Amino acid sequence: MDDNTFDPDLIRAIFKLVWGRRALEREKNEGADAVDCEVGVGTSKKIRPTSANSNALKLSCELLRVFISEAVQRAAAIAEAEGVSKIEATHLERILPQLLMDF
Amino acid sequence: MTSASPLQIADDDDGFDWEAAVKEIDVACQSANPLTSLPNYPSSSHFVPLQNNCNYVSSSNKILRKPRAYKQSTLHSFIGKGVGLEHPHENPVVDDPDQQVAVDGEDERVSCVGIDVEAAKTWIYPVNVPLREYQLAITKTALFSNTLVALPTGLGKTLIAAVVMYNYFRWFPDGKIVFAAPSRPLVMQQIEACHNIVGIPQEWTIDMTGQLSPTKRACFWKTKRVFFVTPQVLEKDIQAGTCLVKYLVCLVIDEAHRALGNYSYCVAVRELMTVPLQLRILALTATPGSKQQAIQNIISNLHISTLEYRDENDPDVSPYVHNRKIELLEVALGKDAVDINKQLLEVIRPYAARLSAVGLLQNRDYKTFSPPDLLNSRDKFRRAPPPELPQGKYGEIEAYFGGLITLYHICKLLSSHGIRPAYEMLEEKLKQGPFARLMTKNEDIRKVKLSMQQSLSHGAPSPKLSKMLEVLVDHFKTNDPQNSRVIIFSNFRGSVRDIMDALSNIGDLVKATEFIGQSTGKALKGQSQKVQQAVLEKFRAGKYNVIVATSIGEEGLDIMEVDLVICFDANVSPLRMIQRMGRTGRKHDGRVLLVLACEGSELKGYMRKQANSRAIRKHMHNGGINSFDFHSSPRMIPHVFKPEVQFVKLSIEQYIPRGKKVKDDSAIQTPMFRAKLNADEVALIAKYFEPTSEKSWRPSLIAFPHFQAFPSRVHKVMHSYRTDMLIDTMQYLQNLSFSGESNTFFTEGEIASGKCLGVDTVEKEDNDKDPLIWDESPSTKSQKKVTDSEVSSLKSLRTKEQNVLDPQGQRPAGHSYLFGSEFVLLPLKEASQTNCTSPSATVLLNCLKPNSCHLKNPGKNYEEQTVQGKSSPDIITSWVQCETSVALAMSKSNLQQETTLDQVEKFPETSVLKKIISNEGDCVGEALNCLEIKVPSLHADEYDNSNELSPRLTNMIQSGFVPESPIDIGLLNGKGRNEFLATDVSPMKLCAELLSKSQSPRKNDIAISSSSCQRDVSISSINNECHTPILKENNVVRTDGCTSISPAAEETNTPLANLTKNSLSKDWLPSSGDKSENVEQARKFKRLRKIGDVDRNRNPEGNKDKSLAPIANLGRSFSDISPNQIKYCKGKRKLTGNARTFIEEEAEVSSEAEMSDDEKDDSGNSSYDDSFIDDRTNPTAASIQAETSRVDMMAVYRRSLLTQSPIERESNSYITSTPDCGNSVSRRNESKSSSVKTLCSFQTPQPDSANDSARRDTDSFCSTERMSAAMPGITSHSVNENERQLESRKRKLSFCQPGSIPVINLEQKFCLQSDAGRKETFQQGLAENLDANAEVFHDDQFFENLDLDAVEAQATLLLKHRSKLSVQKQDVAPKSDAQNFDLQSSPSFDLGIW
Repeated sequence: MDDNTFDPDLIRAIFKLVWGRRALEREKNEGADAVDCEVGVGTSKKIRPTSANSNALKLSCELLRVFISEAVQRAAAIAEAEGVSKIEATHLERILPQLLMDF
Repeated sequence: MTSASPLQIADDDDGFDWEAAVKEIDVACQSANPLTSLPNYPSSSHFVPLQNNCNYVSSSNKILRKPRAYKQSTLHSFIGKGVGLEHPHENPVVDDPDQQVAVDGEDERVSCVGIDVEAAKTWIYPVNVPLREYQLAITKTALFSNTLVALPTGLGKTLIAAVVMYNYFRWFPDGKIVFAAPSRPLVMQQIEACHNIVGIPQEWTIDMTGQLSPTKRACFWKTKRVFFVTPQVLEKDIQAGTCLVKYLVCLVIDEAHRALGNYSYCVAVRELMTVPLQLRILALTATPGSKQQAIQNIISNLHISTLEYRDENDPDVSPYVHNRKIELLEVALGKDAVDINKQLLEVIRPYAARLSAVGLLQNRDYKTFSPPDLLNSRDKFRRAPPPELPQGKYGEIEAYFGGLITLYHICKLLSSHGIRPAYEMLEEKLKQGPFARLMTKNEDIRKVKLSMQQSLSHGAPSPKLSKMLEVLVDHFKTNDPQNSRVIIFSNFRGSVRDIMDALSNIGDLVKATEFIGQSTGKALKGQSQKVQQAVLEKFRAGKYNVIVATSIGEEGLDIMEVDLVICFDANVSPLRMIQRMGRTGRKHDGRVLLVLACEGSELKGYMRKQANSRAIRKHMHNGGINSFDFHSSPRMIPHVFKPEVQFVKLSIEQYIPRGKKVKDDSAIQTPMFRAKLNADEVALIAKYFEPTSEKSWRPSLIAFPHFQAFPSRVHKVMHSYRTDMLIDTMQYLQNLSFSGESNTFFTEGEIASGKCLGVDTVEKEDNDKDPLIWDESPSTKSQKKVTDSEVSSLKSLRTKEQNVLDPQGQRPAGHSYLFGSEFVLLPLKEASQTNCTSPSATVLLNCLKPNSCHLKNPGKNYEEQTVQGKSSPDIITSWVQCETSVALAMSKSNLQQETTLDQVEKFPETSVLKKIISNEGDCVGEALNCLEIKVPSLHADEYDNSNELSPRLTNMIQSGFVPESPIDIGLLNGKGRNEFLATDVSPMKLCAELLSKSQSPRKNDIAISSSSCQRDVSISSINNECHTPILKENNVVRTDGCTSISPAAEETNTPLANLTKNSLSKDWLPSSGDKSENVEQARKFKRLRKIGDVDRNRNPEGNKDKSLAPIANLGRSFSDISPNQIKYCKGKRKLTGNARTFIEEEAEVSSEAEMSDDEKDDSGNSSYDDSFIDDRTNPTAASIQAETSRVDMMAVYRRSLLTQSPIERESNSYITSTPDCGNSVSRRNESKSSSVKTLCSFQTPQPDSANDSARRDTDSFCSTERMSAAMPGITSHSVNENERQLESRKRKLSFCQPGSIPVINLEQKFCLQSDAGRKETFQQGLAENLDANAEVFHDDQFFENLDLDAVEAQATLLLKHRSKLSVQKQDVAPKSDAQNFDLQSSPSFDLGIW
């Protein structure tokens, strides 16, 4: 693992954002189901947000870093083959399926 | 008891009779009657607490921490007031202990809403906007009693509401505040306005309209605190119980004049009042009503206790009232309208007379009646029908009334809106219903209708409309159309449409849109609320500057820029008139209200109603205390607290519309990082992340299916098993598609191979053709001025090449690219494939067409270029010659093809012919066309053959690539097989070359040009015109061959790797490594396009090796490739630096090299390399070899220069061969140099034999070619030489292929080949045999390959091969010494092999 991987705090912030959003969605969906559930019932899930321990976070950082750098490198290869100096979204699209399969 | 109360509060659970107390209070509340007698009901009184309360509060101070306690006091005050008001005689005895206790109990019930003690000490008035006294005063009142604020439009009612809400928001941390506005646009507008005034945090606010599902609303009711709702939503949610009524502390009702009857406002308030709770109600309106009774109803319905009225004339308001100029424009009725009106009145007269006769209608001029008059009369009649009238007549009378009402209505329409609405109404009414029954037999009405129709057919220019247009145009002349906004009100939707029609004719100044309600009628479709919102937004933003609105636009729209309001009809209620006026003059003075009124009844009605509204104002002065009955209302804030006004400048965050709240983060964050981006980046982001649309850009996984047929280059993470599966699947799928048709774009593993093969064939063909042409051209050149023609040709070639590049570039843009090298190749491949696959002559056309316009474009470009080339006289001459030579070549090629390489040759020919045809047709001329036509005819058969063969070839290729099907190759006929095999092998090379070319072409324009020079020379003018894809390919190939052979090898490696992947996943890993190397090489090539030539030169050896290696890889393992590649890379890199300096020379050399076969090219390249190398120091062994050979090479090179290119080529080939040999380089070189001369001598004989034998004398070809090259300078063998050269080229190609294959396969083959070459020089048949042998060997090899699954085994084999090869080379070298021809041929082969 490189030292210059992503900042775990950043990754955790991102994760939390996603988790929070998902929890919100879930809550909304459930709220639609049980309209009148009064306070106390629906809060259990809110109280326990998803979390990750530090090692998992580290691993996630590294994984993300590898993933992103690989994506960039592959896209760069395509772009270079194309003679373009700038990576564009189409380059990414070209390598994306296989990239996703590789990860 | 006062002292006791705190105790009770403290332990409220004691056995007090709460129920009784509650009931008592409920009764008090419900029986609360309007306050009649409180002349002095100053708002300040709220601040004066009763003494008792004071005591109470002070005593209970310690309990104040408990939220409940506060309720108590509030309630207390409430009850005190209520009781006091209700029972005036009872006086403020309210404070008797029992009552207090009851109050305490009540508190318990309502206690859920707590007061923030600290906050309650003050109330905040924002000074973000300049303070206005009347607003402050009204706010102060509204904070402590239920207030109806009647303030003229544009004077800031919303601010009052917002301040009140904000303070309640502060005071009651748990309280919920509701703002109700009658329409969704208003809700949206008010939520934003309130936010901008006091900045209630947006997380607490929510707008809820009918669009939100009740379940969601229920959620919001729980989680939010400030609600902006429509009254309907409020009503429904209160009834459904989802609105947490108990927590409500404040209700603001906008446009309160609607609170009449059973409107949702009234229902909601009624519902709220049944719950015993304290609630502050604030009602806002600009137009409380036009009648005293109506206002009283509102006050009652909304439980108002204070009326705050201001009008423009009040001293504290007037400074803020913008001057509004009200203009009354009288418009004369049009003549048509007048006539029709008369006719209508004629219709009316008899009915009115009859009703008057019965006494049901006032006896006055029937012209003055209006629909309401008749309605009143009818009501009267229904209530109390005149006794003298028989019952049976009732129906008749009713019908008369109905008819008259309709008629009068039509009259009104006619006068105020014009003929068309009236006509439409009349027509509609006449269709059905009682009116139709009444009128069907009426002649007069028919006449009316007729005259209406007539005037309509004339356009029915309404005087009002034309006047209005006039006014509008004037307005926009004096005001900036961008900043000025106009609202046109019309009461009638039909006339809205008329106005719109009229506005659409007056040009760009006016950008008008309509703004109408939701209901969808028969004739006109309503606007959904979404559309309404959009309209308003655009209007605000300036996309429209005119809105034509019905009454929906009258209320509440707060659009600052509106500086002109036009009331298209004047005869509306004063209420609505005021509202209409309120749409303008909100920000500036001098705004205009235009009233368009027709003379006559409309004008009169307007006048009457204006007078009416003036009268009502009087009622409302002094708070309307004299005129209206008021309700009592709770103070809400305990008297303990005397909130002091506190002027605060609030910091208000930017309002974010709720729709985007979900994306709050991004919405907020984007600007932050966006600030750091430059314009380009922002544009890029905007391109993929549409800011306005809900969806952000998502990368597509299916956009580039063909790319998924090949493993993408990897950086560190290798492809997974699943990726391989994906690739296999994609290849399988695309294979199908490929076989199905000539889908050029989808190249998958096998397909790619097939394509490669096709390309190879094409290239071979091209090569063959080129040589032919070339030979011819050289001859011509030799005869004429070779140099000039060459130069011109070079130019043309460059341009052509560039063109080719361009098309390629275009393709990539349009489509998806495979790997860098591959994608370029694809087009070529595709073209070739299309040619090969599509069987008929149409193939040619198809090639041009399907292969895409790119080809055409290039063709055109070529044509242009050719034209340019033509401009040069030399070129023209050469052109003619070229044509002839082309024809000759064609015939030759045909013959050759028929005999041996029919298929392969045919392909190229076909393609060439096609190209030629197309190009020539455009550029060249009739003569060329004739030739071309002939050629096509000749070739048609060949084409067919080729077509037939092509599938086989493709199959062969595939099989060849895929070691599994070597047998198929073997199945092919001897010659055909041999050739095919050769072709197959060569295709590999060619493909590689093509790939390299494709890669290089873009970047290596220069290099291409150099290579193209050769091509140009050969193809020159003729080809220029003909420069179809084939030519391009040829050019590219040749150039590549010269320059980018190594790249080709690299490229080939990748394809091969792909192929291998397809065939063997095991091999993949090593191959991937190779690929990566290849990639690097490719990059280098790009960078070093010029250098690339040099590299290519070096590469030739490498290329040969590579090509061999690929083959070997295909057959066996890829491990071989990698070392070769690496070497090449090194060599290339080193070479690159040198190469640039020698570009020009290289170009020449390369052209020469191109002239010669691939091998020759290689050699040429090598020679170039050598020359370049002189400058440099070759790091690699090859380079060293080259260096060794340099001296010789240099000499040869000079000679060649002197003699023109051929010698150089030869030398090059020799040189290349020497490097290949490595050990025996020096020998070879010497032998070569010596052999060159000898060769020349030999060549002369050979040509003849070659001509006779035609193609298979590989060795002889090489020699012959070289000879010819040398010869041209010396002598004129033009035709023969050309033919020979062509043949030799073909042969060489075939040779190289077979040779390479055998070499790859085994040393034995090589030996055989060399032997065969020797023999071949004199015997074609032998050559064929040799080829066949080679093929056999190949098959064996293939089988071996199949057998050898393990990479290691392959590696070992490779090692063996290498050793063998080296041995062979050494052997060859001696041989070469022995025999010049052998030497030449063998070295070249060696090179190729290596």
